Amino acid sequence: MIDKIKNFYTQHKTLVILGLIVMALILPLLIQKSSIMSIIVKMLFYVILASSLNIINGYSGQFNIGHAGFVLIGSYTLAILAQLNISVWILYPLAGVVTAILGLLIALPTLRLRGIYLALVTLGFSEILRLVALNWTSLTGGPMGIKGIPSPWLFGLQSTKPHIYYYIVLAFVIICLFTSYRVINSKVGRAWMSIREDDHAAMSLGVDIKKYKAINFMFGAFWAGVGGALMAPFYKFIDSTMFSLDEGFNILSMVIIGGQGTLIGPVVGSVVVNSITEIFRFADEARLLVYAILIISMMWIRPQGLAGTSKSVIANRGIGSKKTNIFTRIFDKKGVK
Amino acid sequence: MIKKILVVVLCLTLVVGILSACQKTEDVSVYKLGVAAPITGNYAEYGKGFQVATQMAVDKINAAGGVNGKMLELVVMDSKGDAKEATEVARKFVENEEILAVVGDFSSTCSMAAAPIYTEAKMVQLSPTSSHPDFAGMSEYMFGVMGRQDAEGPFVAEYLAQKYTDANKMAIIYLNNDWGVSAHQNIVKRAEQIGLEITTIENFVDGEKDFTATLTKIRQTNPDTLCLVMFYNELVIIAKQIKQMGWDDLKVIALGPGISEQIIDLGGADVEGIATSTPFMVTEENKTAYDFAMEFETKAGFTLNVHSACAYDAVFMLSKAIGNLGKDVTREAIAGELSAMKDFVGVTGPIVFSAAGDVTRKYLIAQIVNSEWVQMTDYSYVK
Repeated sequence: MIDKIKNFYTQHKTLVILGLIVMALILPLLIQKSSIMSIIVKMLFYVILASSLNIINGYSGQFNIGHAGFVLIGSYTLAILAQLNISVWILYPLAGVVTAILGLLIALPTLRLRGIYLALVTLGFSEILRLVALNWTSLTGGPMGIKGIPSPWLFGLQSTKPHIYYYIVLAFVIICLFTSYRVINSKVGRAWMSIREDDHAAMSLGVDIKKYKAINFMFGAFWAGVGGALMAPFYKFIDSTMFSLDEGFNILSMVIIGGQGTLIGPVVGSVVVNSITEIFRFADEARLLVYAILIISMMWIRPQGLAGTSKSVIANRGIGSKKTNIFTRIFDKKGVK
Repeated sequence: MIKKILVVVLCLTLVVGILSACQKTEDVSVYKLGVAAPITGNYAEYGKGFQVATQMAVDKINAAGGVNGKMLELVVMDSKGDAKEATEVARKFVENEEILAVVGDFSSTCSMAAAPIYTEAKMVQLSPTSSHPDFAGMSEYMFGVMGRQDAEGPFVAEYLAQKYTDANKMAIIYLNNDWGVSAHQNIVKRAEQIGLEITTIENFVDGEKDFTATLTKIRQTNPDTLCLVMFYNELVIIAKQIKQMGWDDLKVIALGPGISEQIIDLGGADVEGIATSTPFMVTEENKTAYDFAMEFETKAGFTLNVHSACAYDAVFMLSKAIGNLGKDVTREAIAGELSAMKDFVGVTGPIVFSAAGDVTRKYLIAQIVNSEWVQMTDYSYVK
C-alpha cells in the first residue's frame, strides 16, 4: 500500500504538488469557521518562521535560538513604517530586507563562533532587541505597543478576515518554500550543507565559510522578517511581550519536532505543534504538558524529527544504524544508547 | 518516503481532530458567558484566580434562581497570556452563537489584540484587569472594571503621598509595562500641579531581582518618600533591600500591589509601615466582600487579590445587564445595558462606566501596622 503511494508520488510528482496547491487554494471555501481559519493562518506563519530557522539550524548547522529577535524586527519594521502610510505590500519584503541586514550585522562578529557559543550570542541578541523595543518608547510605543496596524487590500477586499488573509500568507509560504528549495539545491545550499557536515573539510575544498555562513544568516533572517511582518497586520496589535525568548523556543521546537535539514520538516512541525496545543484545549492546565511530552519522546524515539533527514550527521547522532527503528530501540538493549 | 506519508496522514488526523472538536450541542435553557484567561503561561496564577472567582459568581447567581429563570454557564478558554492565542479564543467565542458576552482577558496585550474581533461581532469584552489607557476606548463593546490610572495616580500623589504621608521630595520606581507607564505618568503629572518635588524616576523590567544599584542612585537624590509602582513580589524585594542599606528614615508608599497578604508573609518586619492605595478593603464590617474573600481562599488555595475580585464583579455586572434586558437578550444590547448601568455596587465598590467604557474609581488608604493591613481613611478623605 505504502509502496503504491510512494510509486505514485515519484511517477506523478508534479501532479501531486499541483493537487496539494489546488487543495490549499480551495481550503477557505470548505472551512466556514474563521476560528479554524485563523489557526490555519497561524500554522502558515509558523511554517515561514520555522522554515527560516531551519535554513540556519538545519542546513548550515549553526545554532540560533534567538529567532524571536528577527521576527520582532520584521513585525516592528512593518508596524512603524505603516504609520507613515506606506503600502503594506511594499513593507512585507522591506521588513525582510531590514531584518536580513540585521542578520548580517549579527553574523559578522559571530562567524568564528560555533555551537553553544553562537547559541548564547543569539539568545542575548534576541533579549536585547526585545528590551530595546520595550524601552525605546518614542519609536516602538514601549510597553504600550503599537495598535491599529493596517492590513492590506486584496482585490478590493480588506484582508482582516482570516479567510482572505490566508491567501496572502499562503502566497508567501509558497514563495518561501520555493526559494528555499532552489537555494538549497544550488551551489550556495551545497556549501551550507558541507559546512554543516564538516567545516574543515569544506574549507579544504575551497568553500569560503565566512561568506556562506553570512549569506545563510541573512537568508534565514530575511524570511523571519517577512514572517514577522505578515503577523503584525493580522493581529493588528504588537508589543514586546509577543517576542520573548519563549517565542524563540517555540519556533525552535517546531523545527526540532518536524525535523531539521528538510524542507517538509518545519511544515510538519508547525502543523503538529499548533494542532496539538489546539486539540488539547479541553485539558486546561495540562494542555502544554502534552507538548512537552511530545518533545521529550521525540528526542528519544526520533531525534531527527518527524520528517527529519536521516542523511545528516547531526540528525543521525545517537542512532546506531539506519535499520534501528523505534521497537528495536525500546526492546533491544544494545539499541538503546 | 514512507515516513513522509505517515507524517502527512498524522497531520490530516490532527486537522480532522480540530474540525470535529468544534461541534457542540445546543442548549437554550442557559445563558453562556465566555471567560478568556491565562490558565497556563506566565500569568497562570491570575488566570486561576479568574477561573475560581467567575465560577463562584455563577454558582451564587444560579443558587439564587439564575437570570430571568435561566441558569448561567461559563465557557473558560486559555489564552496563555499570548496575544495570538487570545485572538483565536476570541474567534471561538464569537462563532459560538450561544455565548453572549466575554469576561477577559487578563493582560492588556491580549485584550487589545482580541478587541477588533469582538467589536466586529458586536460582542462585549468586559476585562476585569486591563488598564491600558486606550483599551476601553477601542470600541463601544470594550469595558474595563479595574479603574483608570488617571484616577488612582493623582490620588496617590495628592492624598497618599502629600496629605497622608507628608511627603516633600519623592522618588518613583515603576514596573516598565503599559500599566506601570501610565500609572507613574499620572502620579508625576499631579505631583507637578501640587508642588510635590519628584527627585528621580527609575524603572525596571519584569523579573529583576537586585535593586541595590537603583536604590543607591535614588538615595543620592535625597528623597524623603519612595513611591513603588509595581506588584507584590518586587515590592517585597525592594523593601528588604532598603532595610539592608540601613535607610530607615525613608517612607515607602505603593501603587499596584493592593492589600495583598503575600507582602506581609514574604516581607515580615521589613514591610512594616508601607502604605498603599486600594479601591476596596475586605473588612469584617463589609459582609459581602468578607464572605467572598474567605470562600475564595478556601476554593483557590490563596488569598483574594484585586484582580480576581474584579473578575467576580464582572460576572455580576453581565448577569445584571442580561437580567435588565429581560427576554430580548442579544450580544449588542448587553453593551448598551452596561454603559447605562448606574447603580451597580460590587465587592470592589461601586462601578459606573464612563463614556469610553472604563471606571473612575474612588480609593482608600491602607497601611501595614503590626503586620496587618489596616484601613486608614474612608472614601470621604478625598475632598
